[in-house]
Amino acid sequence: MNILQRKLDELRLITRDPILAATILLVAASLVLFILWPLYEVLWEGFFNEQGEFTLKYYHDSLGKTENIRTLGNTVWLGVFVSAVSTFVGFLFAYADAFLKIRFKAIFNTLAILPIISPPFALSMSFIMLFGQQGFVTRTLLGLKETNIYGFEGLAIVQVLTFFPVAYLVLAGLLRQIDPAMEEAARNMGASRGHIFRTIIFPLVRPGIANAFLLVFIQSVADFGNAMVIGGNYNTLAAQIYMQAMGNYDMKGGTALATILLSVSVLMFVIQKYWVGDKSYVTVTGKPSRERELVADPLPLILVGVPCLAVSLFILVLYALIPYGSLVNLWGIDYTPTLKHYKYIVDLGLKPILDTTWLALISMPVTGILGMVIAFLIVRKKFLGRGLIEFSSLLSMAIPGTVIGVGYVLAYNKEPLILTGTATIIVLSFVFRSMPVGIRAGIASLQQVDPAIEEAAQDLGASSFKVFTSVTIPLIKSAFFSGLVYSFVRSMTAVSAVIFLVSASYSLLTVSIMSQVDGGKLGVAAAYSTVLILIVLVVTGILKLLLNRMGVNISDVQGG
Amino acid sequence: MSASKSVSVKNLSKIFDGSGGKKVTAVNNVSLTINPGEFVTLLGPSGCGKTTILRMVAGFETPTAGDVLIGDERVNTLTPDRRDTAMVFQSYALFPHLNVFENIAYGLKIKKLKPDVIRAKVKEILGLVDLHDLETRSPNQLSGGQQQRVALARALVMEPSVLLFDEPLSNLDAKLRIHMRREIRKIQHQFGITSIYVTHDQAEAMSMSDRIIVMNKGVVEQVGTPREIYATPASQFVADFIGTANIIPSQVVAVNSERTEVSALGTSFHVKTSLSLQPGDTVKLIVRPEAITLSCDAGIPATISSSVFMGAYQDYVISSHGQNLLLVDADPANHQTFEAGEQVFLVIAPNKLHIVK
Repeated sequence: MNILQRKLDELRLITRDPILAATILLVAASLVLFILWPLYEVLWEGFFNEQGEFTLKYYHDSLGKTENIRTLGNTVWLGVFVSAVSTFVGFLFAYADAFLKIRFKAIFNTLAILPIISPPFALSMSFIMLFGQQGFVTRTLLGLKETNIYGFEGLAIVQVLTFFPVAYLVLAGLLRQIDPAMEEAARNMGASRGHIFRTIIFPLVRPGIANAFLLVFIQSVADFGNAMVIGGNYNTLAAQIYMQAMGNYDMKGGTALATILLSVSVLMFVIQKYWVGDKSYVTVTGKPSRERELVADPLPLILVGVPCLAVSLFILVLYALIPYGSLVNLWGIDYTPTLKHYKYIVDLGLKPILDTTWLALISMPVTGILGMVIAFLIVRKKFLGRGLIEFSSLLSMAIPGTVIGVGYVLAYNKEPLILTGTATIIVLSFVFRSMPVGIRAGIASLQQVDPAIEEAAQDLGASSFKVFTSVTIPLIKSAFFSGLVYSFVRSMTAVSAVIFLVSASYSLLTVSIMSQVDGGKLGVAAAYSTVLILIVLVVTGILKLLLNRMGVNISDVQGG
Repeated sequence: MSASKSVSVKNLSKIFDGSGGKKVTAVNNVSLTINPGEFVTLLGPSGCGKTTILRMVAGFETPTAGDVLIGDERVNTLTPDRRDTAMVFQSYALFPHLNVFENIAYGLKIKKLKPDVIRAKVKEILGLVDLHDLETRSPNQLSGGQQQRVALARALVMEPSVLLFDEPLSNLDAKLRIHMRREIRKIQHQFGITSIYVTHDQAEAMSMSDRIIVMNKGVVEQVGTPREIYATPASQFVADFIGTANIIPSQVVAVNSERTEVSALGTSFHVKTSLSLQPGDTVKLIVRPEAITLSCDAGIPATISSSVFMGAYQDYVISSHGQNLLLVDADPANHQTFEAGEQVFLVIAPNKLHIVK
């Protein structure tokens, strides 16, 4: 066999499709340039001193400080605690959703969407409004003067309330796929409900539980917004990196911490994707044959249903506090209705609102198209470097925003690509932060499409590009548009990465909210947050309306 | 209409990377030539490599070794869109977002034909496959048989040099399958397009093909007309896969130029064969069920193990000299029928016997 001839044939095949070859190169280049290179910068920055000589000083200093070791310990402990509790709560919700005969289950999905469409630290704000020094509960109702919810307890509760929906979505998906026929078979053989749960249901979802735990862990350790707002003296890595790099102007110390945080996240990501990710039994059993007979016994209803509904109501109240808080004179003391916070925003200038909106709008189509192209290449095409494209595009999901923020600062403040202070750098961070979800949606919906349909098009003479535009995109359009909507929402509410990138020329809503919280102006922060949520709702509403007119039905955007 | 072209594959192999780093040889050094206008079936059990060969001809898979030629042109370096082939897919692969007309017109639009030419061609093909009034339907509003016709029309309208069929009838019910079999064969004759048809259904292969290529485990077992393959299978696999066969272990007793004498079932048979054999060799005697008749008085003694009335015929399993044999009486109404347990005699027609190694 002539191997040279084979290689030559393969090369020829690719060059016969120049658009495909160019796309692969372009995608690979952009992933290297905007994901891998900034990470590389973060990893190496801490190994060289100002003169460019190799040194272990910065890592030695960082790891030598008991304060930093404690921060690492804090982060991991918080992650473990929050993931365990969130997974448990998420499981209760998933169980209630799949097995219990209760009403108002629609609330559960709303709960899953709320953390995505609101600023990432929204619950921290509401929590402070309830339990802070001027909190409604602590001050107005109980009259307490000295209260402190800043720290581990506050942060942990808020993170659980924010992240348990991630666990819920993973586990509910699994439970829904379990064929009720299996439970009926077990009951038929004499097993009680409790026994079935222990011996059938639980073992089937065990991989899902590990999965949910790790996904929440990744989010918890990366959480920057809540840690800044309600973390108090309980330092975590994500916040500490920012304070070190931007507060103390110690970039190298910051990168050393960033490397540590990145290692933790990537380790969890690798475990989640390559070890736990494949261990699902549920998919083997195929689709449920019919609907499950829902449980109406009083005991499970009281033990599971009631707590779930109570938690749901509490969360809804927390979110409702934000618009409410923006309309009262002085929270905790004077609840007279007023529009003064909105007037203050207008006086301060609408720049952050407009900047955020149009930057998010620009990022939207870029993210959507790039995401679908990458999903298409990963699922449908065989080429050298496909594994790298898949890994790096999904990896960016696991990279904490603060790490990528530091990376962007380092990578683009020098030749050959100077982007510091431009709109481009913000758009790039929006695009590459929100793209993984679009890619995942694209991959999932492409896997539902019979590859023969695309082969048929190619067989009839369509080039790869023509196949993509005339067949692939129309078939996965709902994933495509979901990706668009998600990208916009995610960009509007992003804070962790972009907080490193904002400059005098561009200010962002989330960053403004944060500085208002920092300055103790809760009313103004609440007003900004309300505006943000309204913009998100209006823009996504318009998008959905337009798409419905075009006959596209987009599933509710669910993130992760 | 582009002229029909021959298709040949030379020393073609395909090795897939299986899970866990294992290499899976799907096609192993296969060489074939299909003449212009010929209808050839690739027949074999699932996993025998037949679909892989078809996909290499279409260009969806790249050969690990060997060449694919369409006409005189080596097409290894052509992507599927540049090969003059049209494929009918097992799942039909209709574009769900396009209606029947748009599905069929898809390839013509890519050829940049004028809209009125496209319209005329699509209309003509729709008439040919009996779908005139369905052109504005979307594929999910069609029955399986109609979808199948659209898929066929979509391939035919391209007027390709080579038509490729990947088990196109396997999703239809039995009656429709027989009907479509005739339809496809009729249209293929009419157009004279070289056709390669992949199936695991021997009845399909028998009824449609000029020649059948029987494959197993990535290699070609036999190439021949349906008649040759049935009457003189080249191997035990072919005999067993095509139709029903009683395979009886036997031994060569004597070899002479006319007939070879083998012993089996307590007697000896004189069989014509092209195999070169020595006395003492063990061989397999292939006896088709219809080659055996039952008698009350003379022949090889046997016992009826089971007897089942099937309407048009009577199915027997009989036991003789430790062998279970299948037997079909095609005209039970005019013959005496036997019940399980009865002692009978077998008569085996010597000119219907065949031996394989």
